[in-house]
Amino acid sequence: MAISPAWLVFCFLFLGHGVVELEASHQVYRDLKLSSSPPEHQPYRTSFHFQPPKNWINDPNGPMIYRGLYHLLYQYNTKGATWGNIVWAHSTSTDLVNWTPHEPAIYPSQTSDINGCWSGSTTILPWGTPVILYTGIDPQNRQVQNMAMPKNLSDPYLREWVKSPKNPLMAPTAANQINVSSFRDPTTAWLGPDGSWRLIVGSKRYSRGLAILYRSKDFFHWVKSQHPLHSAEGTGMWECPDFFPVLINSKLGVDTSTMGPDVKYVLKLSLDDTKHDYYTVGTYNIDKDIYIPDKGQVDGDSGLRYDYGKFYASKTFFDSAKNRRILWGWINESSSVNDDIKKGWAGIQAIPRALWLDISQKQLVQWPIREIEKLRGNEVRLPKQVLKGGFSFEVSGVTASQADVEVSFGISELAKAEVLDPSWKNPQALCSKKGALVDGSLGPFGVLALASKGMQEYTAVFFRIFKGHDKYVVLMCSDQSRSSLNNNNDKTTYGAFLNVDPVREKLSLRCLIDHSIVESFGGEGKVCISARVYPTLAIDDKAHLHVFNNGTQNVQITALSAWSMKKARIY
Amino acid sequence: MDVRLIEQTCKQTPLYDVCVSILKSDSRSSKADVTGLALIMVDVLKAKATGTTNYIKTLLRGNLKGDVRRGLSSCADLYNTVLEADIPVAIEALQKGDPKFAEQAANDAGIEARSCESSFSGHSPLTESNKSVQDVSSVAAAIVR
Repeated sequence: MAISPAWLVFCFLFLGHGVVELEASHQVYRDLKLSSSPPEHQPYRTSFHFQPPKNWINDPNGPMIYRGLYHLLYQYNTKGATWGNIVWAHSTSTDLVNWTPHEPAIYPSQTSDINGCWSGSTTILPWGTPVILYTGIDPQNRQVQNMAMPKNLSDPYLREWVKSPKNPLMAPTAANQINVSSFRDPTTAWLGPDGSWRLIVGSKRYSRGLAILYRSKDFFHWVKSQHPLHSAEGTGMWECPDFFPVLINSKLGVDTSTMGPDVKYVLKLSLDDTKHDYYTVGTYNIDKDIYIPDKGQVDGDSGLRYDYGKFYASKTFFDSAKNRRILWGWINESSSVNDDIKKGWAGIQAIPRALWLDISQKQLVQWPIREIEKLRGNEVRLPKQVLKGGFSFEVSGVTASQADVEVSFGISELAKAEVLDPSWKNPQALCSKKGALVDGSLGPFGVLALASKGMQEYTAVFFRIFKGHDKYVVLMCSDQSRSSLNNNNDKTTYGAFLNVDPVREKLSLRCLIDHSIVESFGGEGKVCISARVYPTLAIDDKAHLHVFNNGTQNVQITALSAWSMKKARIY
Repeated sequence: MDVRLIEQTCKQTPLYDVCVSILKSDSRSSKADVTGLALIMVDVLKAKATGTTNYIKTLLRGNLKGDVRRGLSSCADLYNTVLEADIPVAIEALQKGDPKFAEQAANDAGIEARSCESSFSGHSPLTESNKSVQDVSSVAAAIVR
């Protein structure tokens, strides 16, 4: 393979004086045997969601595809089930479903990351080399940005990484006035037509969230732009920013550097204040280097979210093998820390989702990657039927604690819908107020997951239809209030308005159920809600799955399929 | 002592009086910014949790009915989580600048204290301690916010 001159220049710059900084011995981080083994009885561990055998995980980091192999790295505590001692753990996969773990790829070893290796992203350089930029915590507890590269590019697993002796490449200074505690999570970089790379780093000034923009010609010398790529007053610290193009009228993804009339842009932020990921769709003015959300897009916590439940620090990458943009997200526990320590682990990753721009161009749509369907076992398919108001039935023949269920509803009596009170603007509050047991006209109808035999415990995912001002409004809820008899759990209800017209379209719902998670997709992926639940009775073969209708009006079930899910090999 | 900063900060917590009385009587608050005030409150939380743990140990040495003993053992375990997990996570998160973990840890201390209180089927010997911990935990979480 010819060595391009650009690559040689890059290596020279990386090595600086020609000395490669070797990793400090990392015996502390290899002592995985130090932590005690978790208990045998583990009713909450998932079977097809990504999680390591034990300990704490948080943000997905630097996801990529390299030479046909997918890589997932993630924040991981080598020593326990709470946040701390963070390193970048590393796994690879050929199919995003089954994984092979490797040794941690990045861990404290330089001055510029001695107090922590926090989140960051991968950029695939034009000649195919992946480079990681990540946040390090230095000896003064300042947040700085560092670079790491694979030690050996002919290792397809990219097991070892070396760091630039020039680190940190970006740091808060008196001159740039960046707050030392509010400067983190560099994004994948994109190449402009002028030959300069750009990336953003999350920050804030007082309560204004900022995406600080940096530019570089050689990927080493980064110059802060005068103005941020974007900012928004009152939103607080912007964590894990993600900025990427999406094709108009296509479900395919594109490379992060793609520009032109066929794409719009998405800027997504993780809001530290509310722990929600929200995004806007807009345009990117490459000359001024600013992002402008489209008219009507809401910048802040009441804007569009990837997921209206537990889902944070998410990050996309371009899958060049299948031309998809794939979204990873961290789903933390809703249990108490004491329970986490007892079970010996905390945190899982969501099922990777393909992401694309809705035909309306006003929101994104997500759907679990098709590869997950290979875990489906026997299908239970039920015929079309009417589900009368006040009735429910059990879906048997699948492992209810480890299942994939898709159901579609048709409504004929739309005129009977309750009127939506104009003051009901907050869908989550509305779902909390009108839980699964509160009756209604059209709804609540949907699925009861992880239900115990006597219905003392269940997680209800359902729709309600209201008559709005000039159209029908669909509310989708995930009600965890009765998910567990253990009151130490966070049983907050989640909800969102689903932009589907029940006059013309079926109402579809898909739920991926995996022991302690119910991951729901409404309207073929227009609204996603992930919930963590910890039933004490509805465990393993004692869990049941039902479809229910607590409204007064009948609904039609136009389709219903459920599958047991096989266990994936995660480690 | 920047009384105004203390008052402004405490106004954003659910228990203004508790917050102000703790901070005003702590000499460290004179030089503290908001993160500093949060660290002081976490330290007070630690002291209260330590005090409760010691009290539990003392009670356990006595002659107790089975259900009270069980409740106290449960509480010892819960408060151990507060001291060994919640407090260190909150401190590290505040020092390194990732406040959401500090907020969640402070909140969790309150959850563990509430769980302790529910461990007693009859009368709880720890009601006052648990309430105190819950109060300080909600103030600490709010300051971090």
